[in-house]
Amino acid sequence: MSSTITKLNAPLTQAFDFQPSSELQLMPTPTLNTLTQQLAGFNTLTSALEYAAEGVTGYNFYDARGNLRSILPYSALRHNARTLARRLSGFNLPRGSRVAIVADTSPEFVKLFFACRYAGLVPFAMPIPVNLGSHVIYVQQLRGMLESSQASIALANIDYFGFLEEAVAGVTHIQWAGTPGKLSELPELDVELQPNHPDETAYLQFTSGSTRTPRGVIITERALMCNLQGIVRNGLEIKPDDRSASWLPFYHDMGLVGLVLAPMVTQISVDYLATRDFAIRPLQWLRLISRNRCTVAFSQPFGLKLCTLRVRESDLKELDLSSWRAAGIGAEMIRPETLRNFAEKFASAGFDENAFLPCYGLAESTLAVTFSKIGEGCKSIQVDSKTLIDKRMAVRLQADGRKQNEFVNCGQPLPGHIVKIVDEDGQQLSEMMVGSVLVHGDSVMTGYYNNPEETNKALKSGNWLDTGDIGFLFEGDLYITGRRTDVIIVNGRNIRAQDIEELAEQQPEVRSREASAFGVNDEDGTTTIVLVIECRLTSVAERQSLTTRLQQLVYMAFGVNCVVELVPPHTLPRTSSGKLSRFAARQGYIQRTNLTGQLSFVESGDR
Amino acid sequence: MTESNYDEIMQLLCDRLSSLTNSNAQITPETNLISQLSIDSIKLLNLIMEIEDTFDVSIPINALTDVQTVRELVDLVYKIKSAS
Repeated sequence: MSSTITKLNAPLTQAFDFQPSSELQLMPTPTLNTLTQQLAGFNTLTSALEYAAEGVTGYNFYDARGNLRSILPYSALRHNARTLARRLSGFNLPRGSRVAIVADTSPEFVKLFFACRYAGLVPFAMPIPVNLGSHVIYVQQLRGMLESSQASIALANIDYFGFLEEAVAGVTHIQWAGTPGKLSELPELDVELQPNHPDETAYLQFTSGSTRTPRGVIITERALMCNLQGIVRNGLEIKPDDRSASWLPFYHDMGLVGLVLAPMVTQISVDYLATRDFAIRPLQWLRLISRNRCTVAFSQPFGLKLCTLRVRESDLKELDLSSWRAAGIGAEMIRPETLRNFAEKFASAGFDENAFLPCYGLAESTLAVTFSKIGEGCKSIQVDSKTLIDKRMAVRLQADGRKQNEFVNCGQPLPGHIVKIVDEDGQQLSEMMVGSVLVHGDSVMTGYYNNPEETNKALKSGNWLDTGDIGFLFEGDLYITGRRTDVIIVNGRNIRAQDIEELAEQQPEVRSREASAFGVNDEDGTTTIVLVIECRLTSVAERQSLTTRLQQLVYMAFGVNCVVELVPPHTLPRTSSGKLSRFAARQGYIQRTNLTGQLSFVESGDR
Repeated sequence: MTESNYDEIMQLLCDRLSSLTNSNAQITPETNLISQLSIDSIKLLNLIMEIEDTFDVSIPINALTDVQTVRELVDLVYKIKSAS
């Protein structure tokens, strides 16, 4: 065996800044498998796991200091999941019943997720609380998901069980709530586990922090298998010597589908760092990639920005990122600048900018819609700003000196998928024309669980998914120019404007339809959330109290600061049907506050 | 741990918070981190990293959900430090 292969087979065993203890030395699962690699093409998740379990690869969990804490080879995952499935069978639930799991980055979550599939149940991941002072709002968010999903069972690791216990109080469908430890005390039923059907729901993916109208995307086994196959064969061209590293939360589509399920359906190993640990010490992620010779690792642009901000010259010397061949970038608008800064900073550590792999997707299409060409890096085009605003058309910059916008090439749709751009009346637009991005294909969701209203807004006739994003096509490649005003992205978090308005409307001083939320951008691309409230209060103290309370609530729910503007009644612009227009509200705010260069071309109105 | 340790933690956190937020306002135990200091997520992460490195503790993410004031943060660090 060559030395390279020996190295690949025995990646990091212990600590980066910690001496291994002599007693118990945990070994991560190897990169090279003993099994012939199969690149997806399975019918269901459990059949994929049955295959992966014949090999030696699997999941590895690292702590904040970079020590390997636990390993979960696919073989052990299969065994554990089947055992847990037989315990779950004791509840005698109908097939397809929902099981809620608080998804910290732990082996327990993965075992429970697969246990549900073996038992014919539908799992869904719930977030962990990340914001200061968020206790009450977090419990409300959990309860919103439990009610909307009509979950029968709810589980959380011991650290989060207190919140879950508060959330399940009074939720009628819940039959049992507990920790994985408690589940393990239940008897194992002697039942034959039934295979799943491709038409069955594989899991739900919640996409909103709303307490009143959460949206649980329904993903079938068929949609999931279709998307995974596209990702691993066409998007990433996965090979037997690939290895992943990830800090992405398991409760987000990119973390779950891209970095838990995609590695499993290709039988490759993954090294995990908890999101919190990455956020505090982002370089631990790069150290994992460097030491374990990882090849595939995804991030939002915000994650790359954190790494660039935090790295010191001394860190660069110990990093070797030359193994990293697929640096997937997605989940928010990609600014070329962010990627250039990262590449420049980490070039001396062996990072190859051709590894950048911009892609576009959303939970409503399982995960991925388009991938740029692997190994070619980030491509972008510069278009004339004036034509973009005046004619909603992307024209390549001809002369220097004109104001320009640069947009990243997100590549072409996965096989079997079509992307089209339409105008406000749903008419298809030609290349270079800017409009709403619609997607068609087998990865598209069947709807939001128990939420026909939201489903009808998102799924147009002929099963075209309205992504809510704005962009154009050029030579078949998709370029995203912005989002419609209903989603605000701050520090990598997608926040629905509606969810912020809903929080405001829960205050006694705020009537419904008298709050409007939107984002405004600084020169450097930093987004600030603005919440405009029509307010009848006259006392300075009362107005201040409302402003402070709203800022605090938004922070607790979403972890971001916001500007609150109180305006007289009837200030907010309404559409002919009486609906508030966030687009117009934003334009009005910008005019009132004299922000220059903000009147934007990217939004086309409200959904 | 003794009372002086508690005061040390309080002093250190107040100092760090005032430089982190460039705030001229006096930071007291009752200062609200969210509404008065507008600690955003990046500043919060920086602060947690510094606390963890200075006091050699690990702050569990679930415990921060009950922290809103400087005093509550000091209580939490003190509790974790005493238990370790």
